[in-house]
Amino acid sequence: MKEIVFEHKMAAHCESGTVTAQLNHAGLEITEPMVFGIASGIFFGYFESSNFPFPMFIVRNRPGSMRKNIAKRLGVKFYSKDFRKPQKGIDELDRLLAEGRPVATQVDFYYMEFLPEFMRTHVNVHFVNIIGKNENTYLVSDSYARQKAELAVETLNKARFVGGYMAPKGFLFYPKYIPENIDFDKAIIKGIKKAAHDMIKLPVPFIGIKGMRKFAKKVTGWPELARDIDHLSHEIMKINVLLEDQGTGGAGFRFLYATFLQQASQKLKDSQLEGMSKRMMLIGDDWRNISYFAAKIGKNRDLGKERLEELSQMIYNMADQEQVFFTELYKMVK
Amino acid sequence: MTDTTLIQLKEEVKAVIIKTLNINKINPESIDTSAPLFAPDNPFGLDSVDAIDIIMTVQKHFDVRIADQNLARDVLESIDTLAEFIHREKSK
Repeated sequence: MKEIVFEHKMAAHCESGTVTAQLNHAGLEITEPMVFGIASGIFFGYFESSNFPFPMFIVRNRPGSMRKNIAKRLGVKFYSKDFRKPQKGIDELDRLLAEGRPVATQVDFYYMEFLPEFMRTHVNVHFVNIIGKNENTYLVSDSYARQKAELAVETLNKARFVGGYMAPKGFLFYPKYIPENIDFDKAIIKGIKKAAHDMIKLPVPFIGIKGMRKFAKKVTGWPELARDIDHLSHEIMKINVLLEDQGTGGAGFRFLYATFLQQASQKLKDSQLEGMSKRMMLIGDDWRNISYFAAKIGKNRDLGKERLEELSQMIYNMADQEQVFFTELYKMVK
Repeated sequence: MTDTTLIQLKEEVKAVIIKTLNINKINPESIDTSAPLFAPDNPFGLDSVDAIDIIMTVQKHFDVRIADQNLARDVLESIDTLAEFIHREKSK
């Protein structure tokens, strides 16, 4: 196995973890929470569309945004490419590895066979770093795995070129230029401002706080959308998966953002941000309560009107809390 | 922390898990603190809902937060790893 020297680290989230590991490898000292915060990773969106078999929500910004926002705010230039023809994407990855370059690539999470089976679901927007190859296997640094792992060449190829919604198309990237002098203070402020703006000010009814309220309102009507109690139970339990397991989940993203605010307060010598960090931790705890509640009522098939209204009220409460929080945060950096 | 204190902490963690999950059928002394918590043959028979329950109870009882799921997977591997995590966090 020809292995590139690359420090494998676990991370809270695959995209911020992969970008952080790439930047660290390129010589830029930056933490995962800092990448997440500068990239305005915190978000909320509730979606009902023909693209999804059932309503869904997201708790982070659009996949790919972290790399793009880091590029914009830190002046880092990334080489990135996707491929219509799989063979070209395979050849390009192999070429870059042969140059001794670790490469980040987008994959279907399901094929990461070195992870426990219960974790693996078909999600087309998982990111990993590829750090070596021999005849039959690639060496993968996946921020969800405790250690580097080998993956069969055909399995990684399948994971990179699977079809479907947000198909990876072999997408790969690495940083090709890191500026010598980076104005982190300015980048932090811009990252906070954009995140707070999107949470409270975007005039779109399903994004940010408006999206949370829409979710709270609509969840009581989910029984009418579900085929039967098993389907409803599955969808309600999926709230737990989205909040706790997938990515790092809503609660986890809130904790990650809280850590960013804490690190930002030290960097900017701003004690107000330290206070906001503590408040965001508590908001994360409340999201975790929702996650637990949804998992419990879903598991017990305790899905009557009263329970769903209770769940709805909990989500409304989160919307109220986050509205106050992000309004204050926005004022601080305006 | 001395070995004795860590052993006591492991016993306390064991007791908290038993109480949280309302497990009455098991003799606490028969539980191996190094056994995987989420293995199919573990006497606790835990699932993902129980995992969040434990995470939240640990936070309330010991005042330590398990902030992300990847960390949780490592920390909740066994009673030993959970007790060691609590010990590390309390020592900070």
